[in-house]
Amino acid sequence: MDLEVRNGEYLCLLGPTGAGKTTILRIISGLIRPDHGKVLFDDKIMNKVEPEDRLAVMLSQTYALFPQLTVAENILFGPDIRRYDEKVKNRTLADMLDLVRLTNRPDAYPNELSGGMMQRTALARALASGASVLLLDEPLRALDARLRISLRHELRSLAKSMGITTIHVTHDQDEALVMADRIAVIREGKVVQVGTPGEVFDNPATPFVANFVGQSNFFVGKVEGKSESTLVRGGSGQLVLARPCENAMGEKVVVGVKVGNTELHKEGEGFFDGVVERILFEGRNIYLDVDVPGLGRFSSKIPSWRLGRLAVGDRVKIKWSADKATVFAMPSDGLEKELRVE
Amino acid sequence: MPEVILRNITMRFGKVLAVDEVDLTIADGEYVTILGPSGCGKTTLIRIIAGILEATQGEVYIGGKNMKGVPIEERDLGYVFQNIALFPHMTVKMNAAYGPTVKDKPMEERERVAKKYLEMVKLLDKMAMFPSELCGGEQQKASLARALATGAKLLLLDEPLSALDARVRVDLRYELRRIAKNLGLTVVHVTHDQEEAMSVSDRIVVMRAGGIVESGTPEQLYTHPRDVFTANFIGETNLLEGWVKERQTGGSKIELRDNSMIVVENCEPQVGEAVVVSVRPEFVFPFTDGLLARIEYLTYMGTYWRVSSRAQSNDLVEFDVPSIEGKLFHPGQEVYLMFNRKTAVVYPRPAEGVTEAVKLE
Repeated sequence: MDLEVRNGEYLCLLGPTGAGKTTILRIISGLIRPDHGKVLFDDKIMNKVEPEDRLAVMLSQTYALFPQLTVAENILFGPDIRRYDEKVKNRTLADMLDLVRLTNRPDAYPNELSGGMMQRTALARALASGASVLLLDEPLRALDARLRISLRHELRSLAKSMGITTIHVTHDQDEALVMADRIAVIREGKVVQVGTPGEVFDNPATPFVANFVGQSNFFVGKVEGKSESTLVRGGSGQLVLARPCENAMGEKVVVGVKVGNTELHKEGEGFFDGVVERILFEGRNIYLDVDVPGLGRFSSKIPSWRLGRLAVGDRVKIKWSADKATVFAMPSDGLEKELRVE
Repeated sequence: MPEVILRNITMRFGKVLAVDEVDLTIADGEYVTILGPSGCGKTTLIRIIAGILEATQGEVYIGGKNMKGVPIEERDLGYVFQNIALFPHMTVKMNAAYGPTVKDKPMEERERVAKKYLEMVKLLDKMAMFPSELCGGEQQKASLARALATGAKLLLLDEPLSALDARVRVDLRYELRRIAKNLGLTVVHVTHDQEEAMSVSDRIVVMRAGGIVESGTPEQLYTHPRDVFTANFIGETNLLEGWVKERQTGGSKIELRDNSMIVVENCEPQVGEAVVVSVRPEFVFPFTDGLLARIEYLTYMGTYWRVSSRAQSNDLVEFDVPSIEGKLFHPGQEVYLMFNRKTAVVYPRPAEGVTEAVKLE
């Protein structure tokens, strides 16, 4: 694996369980050594540097606060070991408590804190150690779903305000989209794509990325025309449009389009027709499954204020704008295997 | 048949009041989700229904029968745990056949039932494997097959998807609902994940601090939550603090803290009353006039951008813009915001303050 993280960047390592994300963090922190290859901080090789000398601090999923120490004592654990003088320690503590909004709880013990507070204490402890690289292993996983959403922005802005280089491991693509400067999508120990959230979402490198980051519909066919957009013809004759591609005329390809960019219309023209099978209300969006004879299921996510225009059993036309659809070469192991998320 | 009735259920653990006088009726064939933050009492409640815990006070009726003193194995229910609890030394098929096996059903029937439900959860091709050979989502499907194979018409799901990856979770929740509806099961599903609750449920019961806040269909709770806690917990929302200035059918005026005015269609509180207005980000639009706000930051959401701004009234106001329009907005920029007056919901300002009233933990 090759990966370069920029100074002060907030990078998310995104991938399914077992992709090797936590292992990468451990290699960077020095907790485990790679079989081969180099880890560099700036241009210094770190392979032989002990974890405590790397100035890279890892925050685990479970926070691992010392239960017998107060919030303040937990935060000062690093500075104490490094024997900072009292003045520096006091200032660090005050800064950290302020930063993570725990100024009125320095004497609380971990078991008296809520999940979010424990998370912030652990973060403060990590930052107080003077690290210049912050390694976050699923830092929000132990929290409730709704709380997780509220803390995303807070965690990111804490790291950004300290100017610290952050590598954040997650399996949650929404979290990565919202928090990262850049996302590295990891699968089976390899980096599949690195890019800004916009690049990864709108310009996925593989069908896996297209589906893992924001869910896509796929259409299999052969390239039939190439001009300002690509024409792809499916097995039962349907014709769809996609962005320009490098693939040759006649080549078997997969067209991927995000469910959020898949349009359903009762009237007008579409690439093909289907029948609405199921409608799920999800709050901001509604999620529709459409059964297309010969092609299977296509899904669409549309804002819920449009609810009411479509009902189960309706016949709809499916289409998308060509610039929202990406053409991929047919994966050698088949599409199903390519899309597996676990 | 398995209607579930909870009457005046209270549960104390020493001094801690975990569940406080809860009344709830779950209809036969209904898919009900109990949704709430950690510590709200939802897990205690489902354990009381299962018979794992006995309530300090109150009664549980399943299918019209009082369950007092009835142990879990005689309540005729299937139970799926958050932490996947398959028998590690048994194959997937043996796990699925466990219910019929303990009931001493003939061999052929055990086989037939196990296969039927493994097929339903799409795991037939893995039935000879051991749990350790399956990935998380598959293990949870096997647990589900085992619970279904007991033949129970009441299914209790205790955070069944929490241990799984986000992407796997999304796929599995659709499966859960599909299977429950195909089999006509009554389901009680506990979760802290509001998206999950919305996509699987006929009805959501929102819990907080041991009590029920309110219950309703996902759409009711999203569009017309009766409590401001629900408005914030289910989906995201903007909460603007102010006072009722004028009250008229079709267009009441709410004065915000900087004396600016917003108009809402429906307003129950009286003139002069302190209120909080809830408007979801998708119903706030930048316009040529309206509420003045300064943009603080933008967040990329895939198909759209969420813009976070601070209104002159000091309220945080978020709104969504299509992804192609993201370039038109930047931090520091001043914008005027309009609200969809039909979708705004007005609540009396909670005595403990808005922040406290919507606190997530």
